[in-house]
Amino acid sequence: MSLQYLTDAVASDDREVLIRYVRLHLGDGDEARGRQEIDKAWIEALKPLLALPPADREFIHDTLATKDPATLAHLFFDLHFYLVKRSGEWIHDGNL
Amino acid sequence: MTATSNDREQLRPGLWATVNDRYPGSMITKSDLVPLAGLEKPLAQSRLTFVSTAGVQPKGTLPFDVAHPVGDYSFRRVSSTAAPADLEIHQLKYPTAGANRDLNVIFPIDRLRELVEEGVIGGLTPDFFSFIGYNMDPERLERTLAEEIAEAVVADGAEAALLAPA
Repeated sequence: MSLQYLTDAVASDDREVLIRYVRLHLGDGDEARGRQEIDKAWIEALKPLLALPPADREFIHDTLATKDPATLAHLFFDLHFYLVKRSGEWIHDGNL
Repeated sequence: MTATSNDREQLRPGLWATVNDRYPGSMITKSDLVPLAGLEKPLAQSRLTFVSTAGVQPKGTLPFDVAHPVGDYSFRRVSSTAAPADLEIHQLKYPTAGANRDLNVIFPIDRLRELVEEGVIGGLTPDFFSFIGYNMDPERLERTLAEEIAEAVVADGAEAALLAPA
């Protein structure tokens, strides 16, 4: 099954399989689009930081220090969609 | 001339061709025959439930987990008496523009109530059941989500179920 396929890819360190899966997920079935979406999210993450605004670093530090890896990884995916939505260019059909 | 579906551009050309690349072996296969369950009495005397993959949920409830790369294996109960205005869709993988204008195109809650009033259907269960179709582990889908919904449907006294993929 697909989950076993991914688990096997992790076990064999088949990074191409894993990143392709992520790109397809983020690109709604379009690998090239998924790659663009990843780039777009990083650009959107960079933009608000250029003016060096104050940030709640205590929150960030506490979150990283106290939350489990699965929660943080899940947050990473949520942040991706949050950032691409902020970009104003939303390729997905529905809503978060 | 009236436009037909053939006149429209395919929204996602090549989508299905990617399925096997993306999720090898992910299609659900059954070696055992699962016979269809027949109605024990006429539909006009039966209590119907509705099970949907549309990602419809009551406003104010925790949104379906559309960001998770392997899917969300939870379901929501949606009162069969709910007003469409009190419901919302959380889903990324199908076009929702039409459903956001009229929820009934994907989640026909008003239409089912009308069919009850007209006597076509005997009645509705107190709740309908909703989840998202983006679930990449069909074994888990069957083992957990499908069985949980089936148990809830039986507990609600459903005598017929309408299943609608989004």
